Amino acid sequence: MSDALEQLLAYKNLGTVIFNEQFNIVEADKRAHEIFVSIGPRLSKGNLLDFFPELIGSEDFLNQIIQQKKSDFHLEFINRSTGDERSTYFNLLVLPDKQPNHGLLILEDATDQALAAQGLNQQRYELYLYKCDPEFRKQFLSESILGNSEAIQLVRETIQKLSRFPSATVLLMGETGSGKNLAARVLHYSSMSADAPFVEINCAALPEHLIESELFGYEKGAFTHAVTAKRGLLEEAQGGTLFLDEIGEMPLSMQAKLLNALETKQFRRLGSTKSIEADIRVIAATNRNLQNEVEEKRFREDLFYRLNVVSMTMPPLRELGADIMIISEYLLKLFNVEFKKDVRGFTEDARHILLGYSWPGNVRELSNCLERAMIFTDQDTLDASALIISGTQARPGKHQAHQWTVPPGGIVLEDVERQLILSALEQSDHNKSKAARLLGLTRDTLRYRLDKYQLS
Amino acid sequence: MASVKKKICLLGSFAVGKTSLIERFVYDRFDEKYLTTIGVKISQKALPPIQVPNSGQMIQHTFLIWDIAALEKFDSAVMNYFRGAAGALVVADLTRPETIGYINEVCDRFKSINPDAIVVVLGNKLDIFKEDKKTLTALKTTAADYETDLILTSAKTGEQVEQAFMNLSQKIGCPQ
Repeated sequence: MSDALEQLLAYKNLGTVIFNEQFNIVEADKRAHEIFVSIGPRLSKGNLLDFFPELIGSEDFLNQIIQQKKSDFHLEFINRSTGDERSTYFNLLVLPDKQPNHGLLILEDATDQALAAQGLNQQRYELYLYKCDPEFRKQFLSESILGNSEAIQLVRETIQKLSRFPSATVLLMGETGSGKNLAARVLHYSSMSADAPFVEINCAALPEHLIESELFGYEKGAFTHAVTAKRGLLEEAQGGTLFLDEIGEMPLSMQAKLLNALETKQFRRLGSTKSIEADIRVIAATNRNLQNEVEEKRFREDLFYRLNVVSMTMPPLRELGADIMIISEYLLKLFNVEFKKDVRGFTEDARHILLGYSWPGNVRELSNCLERAMIFTDQDTLDASALIISGTQARPGKHQAHQWTVPPGGIVLEDVERQLILSALEQSDHNKSKAARLLGLTRDTLRYRLDKYQLS
Repeated sequence: MASVKKKICLLGSFAVGKTSLIERFVYDRFDEKYLTTIGVKISQKALPPIQVPNSGQMIQHTFLIWDIAALEKFDSAVMNYFRGAAGALVVADLTRPETIGYINEVCDRFKSINPDAIVVVLGNKLDIFKEDKKTLTALKTTAADYETDLILTSAKTGEQVEQAFMNLSQKIGCPQ
């Protein structure tokens, strides 16, 4: 080996092994020992092929290199990982040595390069498979419901079973924030092709007089402002899923029309006499006890039975035990990316709080809590003091939400909100960040509301 | 009884189940999670002894099984992955017919480095394959092009996995 080559190898942190034509190791430098110790037994003066079985089969070619008839032989990204340990990759390059009938093996630790390439390929291939391979999609989506608890495993199994029946109507139940929307999406994408539509309608968010036209669509001239015809959400969902979120909030008058569409699998646009076939799956979700709603005459019994063909209840977060930390760590990664931070985990106190709190708002509340904490923290681990729950500092096991009641004369909600914002500003000496924390809002949301109420 | 080490390669498009076939054959395990392979990883397994048909000689192969990442280019580094191999299991995914086309490409490259090597064509993911004549015909035609067998396997259930490796061992036969 020339001096210049030796200097170059040292500079590049590459190990070298010199071997003879019987492939016996003659000499290995310190760096080669250091690299090799992470992937196998200590390099010694044994046979090169025992240490590098990757060279078996190529002996003739290597001999030609030793005899300077060939210039080089190289292998890239040889994986020497075992079990669950961190993957280790290296590159091999064999050159003729300056000593006659000797070869020079150059060893490079290529772990970082290989893992970067692996990450890139993983994303590309997953994206491709997600679009083209229904089985992969099912598996991928099933893993998007985080957790290992029995309750979560049951949810995954149920979705897996339901995905085989893409026309079955499903009723999702569970507390607010418990993941009904996610479950509906996973069920949809597991059951249908990647381009089948998923149309979501929040029955609580649409004014009563708009629900019918939004659901069924209308013809030109059907009513005063119907200057053009419009497809309804049922039509948009053709060949896919219509997700009726908060179905318990749907007005009774509308329930009858929806029931009719579900029963007959046909509907008509407003102002039209022509029936349209409804080739859709319906997934409905509610945080209400629909059985009680039926008894109280606020929900049609016949619609309840029509929707309740198969039902699934999403478990509340407080019943998921250690899964709370799995979800929290996942959210931490998301917020690290969003806020360009590098928070690596939770202190023991923070874990204690996260696991002990009852989370009445479920994952939505947990997500908001962690988002707030991530905005304000300057530490590399999230501490208990960063976790603000329901506007107060978290204490394990206590749900501190107030029970607000509306006075008999009624209120103007916006006035109440305005008063609370003023109160928070007063308490925080007009420090907007502190006021936002007191209100459980982000600083941007508070700023928006200050503008809205002209308080800024 | 002769004992011989043979290098064999697992080839095929990405996510056809090459790594899973090796995991099933060598360690008798299966992981649902998809983790794409980068570079190459070698596993080793001694096969049950076989009798070479012509000579009647008993030999035992120890396979050095090269799990090679799906290749998008065929440069000298890739050719070195193939060099010195006695055989290859070339895998397609029965549920993704587009992976069958890749077999010809990779087989031709492999044979250009190892003209005497044996290839056996595998159609993997039999457990989720909804029988489709077009796919099977395409695979049979591909196997026939290389004058070899087509074996349908499931790395998930283990069906026909050992048979696939044994078939290759039989075909490689006697050491030269």
